[in-house]
Amino acid sequence: MYGIDGFHLSIPQLKIEDAEKVAIIGPSGSGKTTLLKLISGIIQPQYGSISIEDTEISQLSDAERRDYRISNIGFIFQDFELLDYLNVQDNILHPFRITKALKIDAQTKARVEALSQEMGIANKLNRLVNHLSQGEKQRAAICRAMITTPKLILADEATGNLDPRNKTKILDALFRSTDKNNATLIAVTHDHELLDRFDRIIDFKQFCQGEGI
Amino acid sequence: MIDSFYLAWRYIVFNRVKTITLVLCISLISFLPFSLKILLKESEHQLMSRAITTPLLVGAKGNSLDLVMNSLYFSKEKPDFISMKAVEKVMDSYLALPIPLYTRFHARKYPIVGTTVDYFEFRQHNIADGRSFAMLGEAVIGVGVATQLNLKVGDSLLSSPENLFDLAGVYPLKMTVTGILKKTNSVDDKAVFVDLKTTWVIQGLGHGHQDVKTIQDKSDVLSRSDKLVTTSTKIKQYTEINLDNLDSFHFHGDPSIYPLTAIIAIPQDDKSATILRGRYLSEQKNKQIVRPKRVIEDLLGNIFQIKEFIDAVVFIVAIAMVLAIFLVFSLSFRLRQKEINTILHLGCSRGTVVQLIVAEIFIIAIFSGLLCFSSLLVLQNFQGEIVHKLFIS
Amino acid sequence: MSINFLFHKDTVINITMNRSNTNFVSKIILFSGLFLALNPVVAEDKPLNIYAVNYPVKFFAESIAGDHASVTLPMPADIDPAFWEPKAEDVAGLQKADMILLNGANYAKWLPKVSLPLFKLVNTSSEFRDAYISLNEGVTHNHGTGGKHSHTGTAFTTWLDFSLAEKQAKSVFKALSRKQPKLNAGFVQNFIPLQKALLELDVQLTEIGNALNGQALLGSHPVYQYLRNRYKLNLESVHWEPEEAPTEEQWNTLKALVAKHPAKWMLWEGVPVAETVTKLEELGIKSIVFSPVSNLPETGDFLSIMNENIARLKTISN
Repeated sequence: MYGIDGFHLSIPQLKIEDAEKVAIIGPSGSGKTTLLKLISGIIQPQYGSISIEDTEISQLSDAERRDYRISNIGFIFQDFELLDYLNVQDNILHPFRITKALKIDAQTKARVEALSQEMGIANKLNRLVNHLSQGEKQRAAICRAMITTPKLILADEATGNLDPRNKTKILDALFRSTDKNNATLIAVTHDHELLDRFDRIIDFKQFCQGEGI
Repeated sequence: MIDSFYLAWRYIVFNRVKTITLVLCISLISFLPFSLKILLKESEHQLMSRAITTPLLVGAKGNSLDLVMNSLYFSKEKPDFISMKAVEKVMDSYLALPIPLYTRFHARKYPIVGTTVDYFEFRQHNIADGRSFAMLGEAVIGVGVATQLNLKVGDSLLSSPENLFDLAGVYPLKMTVTGILKKTNSVDDKAVFVDLKTTWVIQGLGHGHQDVKTIQDKSDVLSRSDKLVTTSTKIKQYTEINLDNLDSFHFHGDPSIYPLTAIIAIPQDDKSATILRGRYLSEQKNKQIVRPKRVIEDLLGNIFQIKEFIDAVVFIVAIAMVLAIFLVFSLSFRLRQKEINTILHLGCSRGTVVQLIVAEIFIIAIFSGLLCFSSLLVLQNFQGEIVHKLFIS
Repeated sequence: MSINFLFHKDTVINITMNRSNTNFVSKIILFSGLFLALNPVVAEDKPLNIYAVNYPVKFFAESIAGDHASVTLPMPADIDPAFWEPKAEDVAGLQKADMILLNGANYAKWLPKVSLPLFKLVNTSSEFRDAYISLNEGVTHNHGTGGKHSHTGTAFTTWLDFSLAEKQAKSVFKALSRKQPKLNAGFVQNFIPLQKALLELDVQLTEIGNALNGQALLGSHPVYQYLRNRYKLNLESVHWEPEEAPTEEQWNTLKALVAKHPAKWMLWEGVPVAETVTKLEELGIKSIVFSPVSNLPETGDFLSIMNENIARLKTISN
């Protein structure tokens, strides 16, 4: 359970399987992004616990949660959140530069090559992100999310700013990547036409109505 | 740490306009107080070194600063004139040795210093090329004059008329360069030295012309008798002095009333200096004797007072500049709040965020420091000329 | 060995850099050092290098300084020193001198055209400027190899008034003493007999002047003004040269002068040509030589020549 300033998110129980692709839908303000923050350890529940595999996130210290997050969880944002002053390669490698927990080595560079090839942006690695299309930017963001070989991908409206053709392509790329890495995907989305691609759909409306999962 | 500098560097390069502006602002505000200090120190050095080696100056009563600045630094302000009688007075006292100066005229923008050959020995100047002036109309020039006008020994230099519209005034005199001084690192590098009598020729107190007794053109002669020939102004006067016409040059009137701008007096000892100064204080109504060192000390005292005021102003401006720079950085980081939130989400610690900010500030500070330092080095290289141009000439 | 400048230029500057450092002692050292550097006391074992503008002043300097000075007359022996036209190399030699002895009274006409160090100039007649004789004559004439000149302004043969000559000699003595104070005793010893000799000449000429008692005399050249004034000689001058025969016009001028000034003797600077002497005798005018000895004599010295001059003048008065 999590509450702040009159807002309460109370989830009796939520279990997500390995490599499961879960879509979270619901009205605005129902707590979907809050759930992602709780899962990634950015915020702590007031009651209950959150575990990823055998690691109880809610019991870790701030530093431990940060290290766990950057090493094991990949984020994909609606606005891509790429840095306009770095080129594509540096954006992909960005997580390695903001923590001591990760080190850039030959293997890392090889993974950048592989991921960018997979995403079809290998020829754009030296370009600044301002020179990319919307779809290319999100693919670069996916590469950044996958560079640490995460166990869990959290996508918050990953297709929200894309046109319909790109939405499908990005989702395809995301699914391919998560499948390849055997990662679990939790995606907050408003795009109902994409829901049938997911293994499970969690509707946060039930929490507003007080129903359990 | 390296990664933080890398990210900071990339940010700075991407936002180069903002970076350059910040670097320039910080450099400038750092440069100002140091440059002021350098220039003032150099001013003190230039002013004091000449002043301290010039024991006493005799001149017309009036502004002592003008007298000192004109006599030591050949500044444009001309003091009132005194006469050669004052030189005789100093010589006859046996208390001091006199070096007369007459700095009224210019050759283009360079001052013509009428003096005696003693001046070079007094200032310990040596001739690099040629020889000292020996005859009327000869000149020794500073190395700066030689370089800028491309003159060598044997070349000529014309004195400039005082006033383009004063047709009855001084005539340009063509002087022969007989010597070029070694570099002195003083105002003497940009001066033209001639015998005192040459400056009197420039003024018209002395001149050379055709022999009045053999003039054939009747319109050149107004009247003629056994003892006296009166010529008209049409008679040709020589505008240069050479071996052929040197003999014709002569002076009219009593040389003891010929003008000077100052006399450098070198006393035998302190007692002689005191006696000499006492004589001028008690006896001379229209002359003054000053100690250049004291005059320059007073001037520097005023300059330092102004400097303190300027320091205060610079300090206030610096505070304003720092606040402005702080505001720029604050706004910049506020605009980057989203970026900071993202990296916090990704797993970056707050400490690392601070490191990134510090790295950025550090790089800008380094560049500003380098720019300021190199500017100060350049300034130090040219400080002599800058000070002379700004404050002395 | 001469005394060297006490401070190197940089040291001078270093003393002054810190305003609070300049003090009374360093000021004394600085001023004295400058003064000595520009007007050094020369060590006694090195002869002074002195230049003189005419022979009488040279003679005085040599008599007083003896072996302690080398006195140079920079002009050739056949030139009237007053009208010498020096060249740049001549001036360079003068500039290097330890002392330059001037006669004063605008003697050296070349002085305004050259650049000499003021510190080294000694005007031997500065103490009696008020005794200078102004001239109103303005006649141009040739003068041997010296070119045209005129005797306007101030009469300059001051040494022919031996009371003034004594003052000039004293002026030389004082200048030498200031320059080499340690040799003062020797200079005094040398000066006294010279002074005595000059004053003796003054006495003799005064007696001759009294004896002549206003007798009309002629001067061949306007160089006897001080002689005339001091010893009360009734002397008028023409403008003749000993080695040149006068022109018709010059003879006419003489005749007109003699008509108002019936002189029987003419004083010459040097031995006149025989023709002129003969012609003068025809006019009833005899010639004697009274040489001002401005330049180096072929034989004798200043005193011996003046004694000879006086002996010849004495014959007129007898």
